[in-house]
Amino acid sequence: MVSWGIATTVVDAGRPGRAWLGAARGGAVDVVSHALANRLVGNPVDAGGLETSGGMSVQFDDPTMVAITGAVADVSVEHGPPVGWGSPVVLPPGAVIRIGRLYEGARLYLSVRGGLDAALVVGPDPSTAAATQPAARRPLRDSVRIWPGPRLDWFDGPAWSVLTSASFTVASTSRVGVRLSGPALVRQRDEELPSEGLVEGAVQVPPDGQPIVMLADHPVTGGYPVIAVVDPDDVARVAQATPGETLHFVRR
Amino acid sequence: MNVLPYGPRAVLVEFDSLDDVMAASTSWRSAALAGVVEVVPAALTVLVVHDGSFDVERLPLPESSVPTETGQSVTVPVRYDGIDLADVARATDLSVAEVIDLHSSALYTVAFCGFMPGFSYLAGLHRDLHLPRRASPRTSVPEGSVAIAAGFSAVYPKLSPGGWHLLGRTDLAMWDDDRDPPATLPPGTRVRFLPT
Repeated sequence: MVSWGIATTVVDAGRPGRAWLGAARGGAVDVVSHALANRLVGNPVDAGGLETSGGMSVQFDDPTMVAITGAVADVSVEHGPPVGWGSPVVLPPGAVIRIGRLYEGARLYLSVRGGLDAALVVGPDPSTAAATQPAARRPLRDSVRIWPGPRLDWFDGPAWSVLTSASFTVASTSRVGVRLSGPALVRQRDEELPSEGLVEGAVQVPPDGQPIVMLADHPVTGGYPVIAVVDPDDVARVAQATPGETLHFVRR
Repeated sequence: MNVLPYGPRAVLVEFDSLDDVMAASTSWRSAALAGVVEVVPAALTVLVVHDGSFDVERLPLPESSVPTETGQSVTVPVRYDGIDLADVARATDLSVAEVIDLHSSALYTVAFCGFMPGFSYLAGLHRDLHLPRRASPRTSVPEGSVAIAAGFSAVYPKLSPGGWHLLGRTDLAMWDDDRDPPATLPPGTRVRFLPT
């Protein structure tokens, strides 16, 4: 690593099945982009790669096949050929790839053929190695599909229609979750809720009425009512939402 | 039991008591239901997460609310030198020796985990030691701190912020990534504290 940049971390697909022990899935926040980056270089989809929010530079000592997915970014390569989005490229020894600012999306994934943690990788998976078609990046939709959550009845009558008609602006994002800002979602029950299990995509509402969507490193339980759940197919979209961007929720 | 919707791949099942929660989560976990990815007990609920292939209508009714005796037994050695011992004694009208005695003579059962990996909520705390959390949480609680609050006892697996009353320390590690399960005190485990 020449420069670690912003929130750069080595990620795999995470480990489901440990929530009962207090551990969330972890791993890539946008599993779809992480898996695509791996498939492009012929890795198993859960191989280790890099997740970054920009400002990262990596130098390669050996010839290395890499691919970039997730956010669109300024990418430059010294001592090697250019690297585009979603297309595997072999970089020669000594090449330095620099990920600058991210434009569309909050997280970029860089995969390396063979995976980043040798212990995690048994070898290229022949069943997925054929996915080498350079992909045009799918534009990010601003609508996110949601389902009613377990504590919808803790909110007043208009809360659901507010949630599914207003725009919500992304206030901040982290591996734990995305904080939104918009019209307050008003509770009609004020008692304390005993902590209960959370899922990725759960839309939790603290007393200020501003929703938070849970991501890969969410706490396994929480004490604020969950009004809605993001459809599992749209969680990766929320994981790519950047501060200042607006999202619309639609009933699934 | 009351089944609440939680999107296409989960349900939240609500119960009337912690005993019912423990019975249901233990029986559903040991049933190894096909397609179920997570069974997450909490204070009055069990979250069941599945891969889309599990029909939640087929979630079996727990047979009885008597907690099952299937859990492992673990003894946690404790140095009772916590900085909140005197405060706890004052708040409960007990002597420090009585606090230690009540805490270390009870048999606990892990009800659920939460807050951080390996943080286990131990049910079975003596009634006289039931206290709310501290009015202002500490920014830093040392790893291995043995603590009580909200009717439970717990061991902090790692240095972290925390609002529980600290009774002592243990050297027993609460989490090992290379072990299966990685938590030392998974739900269902029977726990005793041994003064050292």
